[in-house]
Amino acid sequence: MDFKNVTLSELRSLLDEKKIGAEELAKEFFGEIEAKDDKVLSYITVTEEEALAAAKTAQVRIDAGEAAALTGIPLAVKDNICTDGVRTTCASRMLEDFVPPYDATVIEKLKRDNFVMLGKTSMDEFAMGGSTQTSAFKKTKNPYNTDCVPGGSSGGSAAAVSAGLCAAALGSDTGGSIRQPSSFCGVTGLKPTYGRVSRYGLVAFGSSLDQIGPIARNARDCGTILNTICGVDPHDATSRNVPADDFNAKIGAGVKGMKIAIPKEFFGDAVDEEVRNAVMNAAKEYEKMGAQLIDCSISTLKYAVPAYYLISSAEAASNLSRYDGIKYGLRGEGRTFDEMIRDSRNRGFGDEVKRRILLGNYALSSGYYDAYYRKALALKQEVIKEYNEVFEKADVILTPTAPSVAYKIGAQDNDPVKMYTADICTVTVNIAGLPGINTTCGYNADGMPIGMSMIGKRFDEATLIQAADAFEQQFSPVRCTL
Amino acid sequence: MDIKTLDHLCELSKLNFTEDEQKKILSEMSDIIDLMDTIKEFEISYDDTKDYNEIAYDDLRRDEAASSFETERLQQNTQPRDNCYVVPKMME
Repeated sequence: MDFKNVTLSELRSLLDEKKIGAEELAKEFFGEIEAKDDKVLSYITVTEEEALAAAKTAQVRIDAGEAAALTGIPLAVKDNICTDGVRTTCASRMLEDFVPPYDATVIEKLKRDNFVMLGKTSMDEFAMGGSTQTSAFKKTKNPYNTDCVPGGSSGGSAAAVSAGLCAAALGSDTGGSIRQPSSFCGVTGLKPTYGRVSRYGLVAFGSSLDQIGPIARNARDCGTILNTICGVDPHDATSRNVPADDFNAKIGAGVKGMKIAIPKEFFGDAVDEEVRNAVMNAAKEYEKMGAQLIDCSISTLKYAVPAYYLISSAEAASNLSRYDGIKYGLRGEGRTFDEMIRDSRNRGFGDEVKRRILLGNYALSSGYYDAYYRKALALKQEVIKEYNEVFEKADVILTPTAPSVAYKIGAQDNDPVKMYTADICTVTVNIAGLPGINTTCGYNADGMPIGMSMIGKRFDEATLIQAADAFEQQFSPVRCTL
Repeated sequence: MDIKTLDHLCELSKLNFTEDEQKKILSEMSDIIDLMDTIKEFEISYDDTKDYNEIAYDDLRRDEAASSFETERLQQNTQPRDNCYVVPKMME
């Protein structure tokens, strides 16, 4: 079986029709991981024993004819989502030996379906980065070209899906961390509306921006996973009770009459020509399918990167202040309380995490707070206002997911500003709390995937999935040859 | 960013840097602050009363005592002694 192409719907049929057993399927994936992951480095922890036990339980349910959508389906989970009894490192020395005593709500929900967790995937340390090269353990490589980065921060999840090392995966997205690696690795990734999915058990980075979402081979599979993990949660006061029967309900309805807005600021000189052309060609395909293209403007985009980094770093500085080495996490040495905390944090955090903590505390400091943090909040209000105005006339917005395709490993090392500005196409979606989906729309001259993003109205993931699926149905993906 | 500001931030952040590290981080942080400074061009102030992205706290849990995690499980990630967390001496 070619695991790079198999979809969740196909696996569901194979399992339900008893053409393959859940345990056998899990073993097939572990075989792929064993054979290929030394080239991709997508997993930090592989949970074979637990997975095979879960597969046995799943099989009982399948045999009883009571399978849910994800029963027996082998998934990977980003290593910042807490899993009871399974090490959750956030790709940081700080949490190298941390074993959560509880499951994140999304894991609880997946376990209710009797899914099979293959392992925990690598990421940028504490989800801070866009290359998965700040991981303290596995610096993941792009399955299309292992000299290139897979994107980040959910680079391990995206690479594992792309290379066929899991059927689909969970990622998290604070400023593009699901969509950008999905773009670089040629897969589909959905960042749900803020509040659609509980953040309980997701190790906090930027609490007003973080959201868990699926990475899969197509939009339909993303909808299938979102159906299971969504919903209000008493453990997360920011989760919302917005009904959604089936995120895949509008699949097949086509895009005739759909109004797709194209914001000119996303197609400027900062975006590579190959990327611009591929996304504009996709827009033309939509037009051929009956959609109506509308020009629009998001003028605040120019300030989006500083606004995002000020807000997210301020929240990160606060969230990461809990790592003092006392109750959990790396414990440093020192004769005094202060010495011990400093030693724990110096040894536990990597360079990028330290930069973000410094920036966050700078923005929140007396004398700088109004000029930076409150200004960023003001910009957030303007971004939301601008998106609301566009959505009065349009159903979805189409943009590139990233200014370039996956770049060579090391190309952005030691240049944090270059790394930050590369987030320009994705951060406004998090600032405004909107849903966004990446799907592949072409390949550059070297065969590297190019992704496009559809941005939707709040809690209207179903229309995003409808639009992305319509494109995917007429697009022939080129899977990696790994 | 100057060394005095960095020292202050290190105190707030509970981080230490060696002299060589300080030179590197000062240069990086200066570049980052230059990027952040572009937001100052944006002529608008934050309106606390007009937040479009308000968080709805409409489904809060009732404020009732309920069972929580077992202490033993919570302490599995540290080295407790007599059911307490061990810390260096805080007061002389």
